[in-house]
Amino acid sequence: MQNGYSGKFLQVDLTAGVCSNISIEEERLKKFIGGSSLAASLYLERFDLQADPLSPENPLMLINGPMVGSGFPGSSRFAMAAKSPQTGIWGESSCGGNFGPELKRAGFDGVIITGKSPQPVILSITNNEASLLPAADLWGKDTYETTDILKAPDKNIKVLAIGPAGENRVMFSAIANDKGHYIGRTGLGAVMGSKNLKAITARGNQAPGKADEDKYKLTFKAAVAEIKDSAFAESLHLMGSDAAMDLGTMTGDVPFKNWSASEDSEISSKLSGPSLSEHYLVKAHACSNCPVACKRVTAVKDGPYQSDEGPGPEYETCGTFGTLIMNSDLAAVIKANEMCNRYGMDTISAGAAIAVSMELYEKGIISAEAADGLKLEWGNMEAVLALLGKISRREGFGDILAGGSVSAARHFGAEALDCVAHVKGLDLPMHDPRGYHGMGLAYMMSNRGACHLQHAAMGMEQGMVSWPQLFDMKEDYDGQTSVGKARMVFNAENYGILGNSLSMCHYVLYAVKPETVRDAFNAITGYNFDFNDLLVCGARDWTLKRGINNLLGITVKDDVLPKKILTAINEGARAGSVPDMQLLRDEYYAIRGLTADGIVSEEKLLELGLPELRDKLYKK
Amino acid sequence: MTAYNAFTQEWMDAWKEKINSSKEYKEIAKEWEGSVSITVNADPSRNLPETVYMFTDYWHGDALEFLICDAAKAQTAKFIMTGDYARWKQVAKKELDPTKALMQGKLKLKGDLTYVVRMVKTINKVVDLLTEVETIFPDGD
Repeated sequence: MQNGYSGKFLQVDLTAGVCSNISIEEERLKKFIGGSSLAASLYLERFDLQADPLSPENPLMLINGPMVGSGFPGSSRFAMAAKSPQTGIWGESSCGGNFGPELKRAGFDGVIITGKSPQPVILSITNNEASLLPAADLWGKDTYETTDILKAPDKNIKVLAIGPAGENRVMFSAIANDKGHYIGRTGLGAVMGSKNLKAITARGNQAPGKADEDKYKLTFKAAVAEIKDSAFAESLHLMGSDAAMDLGTMTGDVPFKNWSASEDSEISSKLSGPSLSEHYLVKAHACSNCPVACKRVTAVKDGPYQSDEGPGPEYETCGTFGTLIMNSDLAAVIKANEMCNRYGMDTISAGAAIAVSMELYEKGIISAEAADGLKLEWGNMEAVLALLGKISRREGFGDILAGGSVSAARHFGAEALDCVAHVKGLDLPMHDPRGYHGMGLAYMMSNRGACHLQHAAMGMEQGMVSWPQLFDMKEDYDGQTSVGKARMVFNAENYGILGNSLSMCHYVLYAVKPETVRDAFNAITGYNFDFNDLLVCGARDWTLKRGINNLLGITVKDDVLPKKILTAINEGARAGSVPDMQLLRDEYYAIRGLTADGIVSEEKLLELGLPELRDKLYKK
Repeated sequence: MTAYNAFTQEWMDAWKEKINSSKEYKEIAKEWEGSVSITVNADPSRNLPETVYMFTDYWHGDALEFLICDAAKAQTAKFIMTGDYARWKQVAKKELDPTKALMQGKLKLKGDLTYVVRMVKTINKVVDLLTEVETIFPDGD
């Protein structure tokens, strides 16, 4: 097809062992574009929302956007979605790498997987064909080994694989794309494991068509020039996402000691992007067709935490296995990252669960005996690395943490629950809402639970971007005020979610002008969307997922920040600062069209063209 | 407090004095080594008819050479920052954070960005101290 789409989706029934093709009507594509937005529309229409997340009835969906495979910078991302075993609500995650473009080259816009295979299998997709292959010999192997084995016949095969954590249904298990890119959040690796699906491979040689190749080339050139001119992109190229550590420490964005302590630049400076580059960087690495090349390839050649050359830690991981647990040894962070990668675990939730354990240990709620003899003292990386293995195997104390931090805390009582920083069951990423109140609202309202990627609030509030051509916004927000942030978050969601539907990396979305993104999208699809059309797609996505969550029981009671964040820190960059949760939520509800109970109003559902959701939510 | 006309040698001297009087700066900037030039693009509509070049030099917590200079001297600095007058004025009045201005492309930097990121606290302190200098801007406020 000449509009960025392949024109067909692969449907896989693992119980029956049958693969078939389906098409999606163009009207739906125009409304939801792609990625998790399209997945949510299919989920609402075709599946049982009440199904247990780890049951055969819960679908696992993998969906591209129309820009994937076009070669446009930052457009290699793809989304996976399902009801989350970690949170029990809408779950989704996306990653860059190369699987999305390869799936497109193999002839598919997405894959919808249901059922459960009686035996471990691999889903192999090659040029319009799909088959299920036995994988018993791969079961138990980590993601790196599995990937190496599956790529051995042809290094151009692209791999998605789970590790032992997904097999053992660790609730925050991840899915690895070619070792270095992760579908990390909301536990979708466990959904894949519950289906006995060890891996998905893709290989193809079909170039996706574009509606207007000449116009596309102009937008491509513009995007590359804008990236080259962007200090933000340059900082990512030089230091990776961990470029955020130094500035974040200074402004109160980086959490310390399980969200309880003020900043300690002695620790964070040793974990920062410049330190990573100076001591452990082997080379920068790029997702498919991306000139930013923000990914790090690292190695630790000596000392107790030696690790092979491989994908290095992102900023989030330097937070969870660094500042959050008061560890300043970057080599140990790299080792923990490698272990999570191999086992297939989300580094945010794994680190968060361990940080909670350390606080409970300090408070005497957990003893060393209860923790299998491990002394869970702050910064004890030997204990951390031992725990990661135990979690992935669901062994001893690790089995308790494998349920996630909320589940683990419940095991230890009410006081323990106060130690968990989460929204709707998903652990907070490493950005402190006491430093940036808008982020607090964005966490509260993100449809997959606390998230820094379901919106562009970080870019806007921290001043990485300024988009006056899209909407009314300040170029320099005061982070530590809640006034006026509801509108900012609303706008940030609509544009950030749009980026996700397009399957665009937010880093590129920040570096490239909105006009260029719009023009590239139109050149590829042949549509003629203006900014308003695009932002309405973002708003529709948010509302659709909120409605799904409403059907799953989410109401105003769930739109809350954790006690950790509502407790001020007395010194440092965020001293005395606490988001005004009530103000933020009240203003946001009014803008977003939610009732006082947090339900999407009928009027808003009809305004955004979601009558099916209206019917289900209001039982018409 | 004495007020100084922006982009004059007297104004730069006052800024340098603020920096060298700051104990906090000395502590924060103890690892900073090197010079920064600032280019303020001409804006006749705002009463800045010609581009202004400034050269500032710092070493381990001390401000050294602070000069209004020519383009050639500005080019010799370790870091070269360039921007429109309106943007620099926003920075000098603390209405726009210099790091944010850099990330948003409103100011341009030539030099080692990794070093700047590591030393961002130092840069912010230098700007903070500039905002303490009573300044009369070319367009009046």
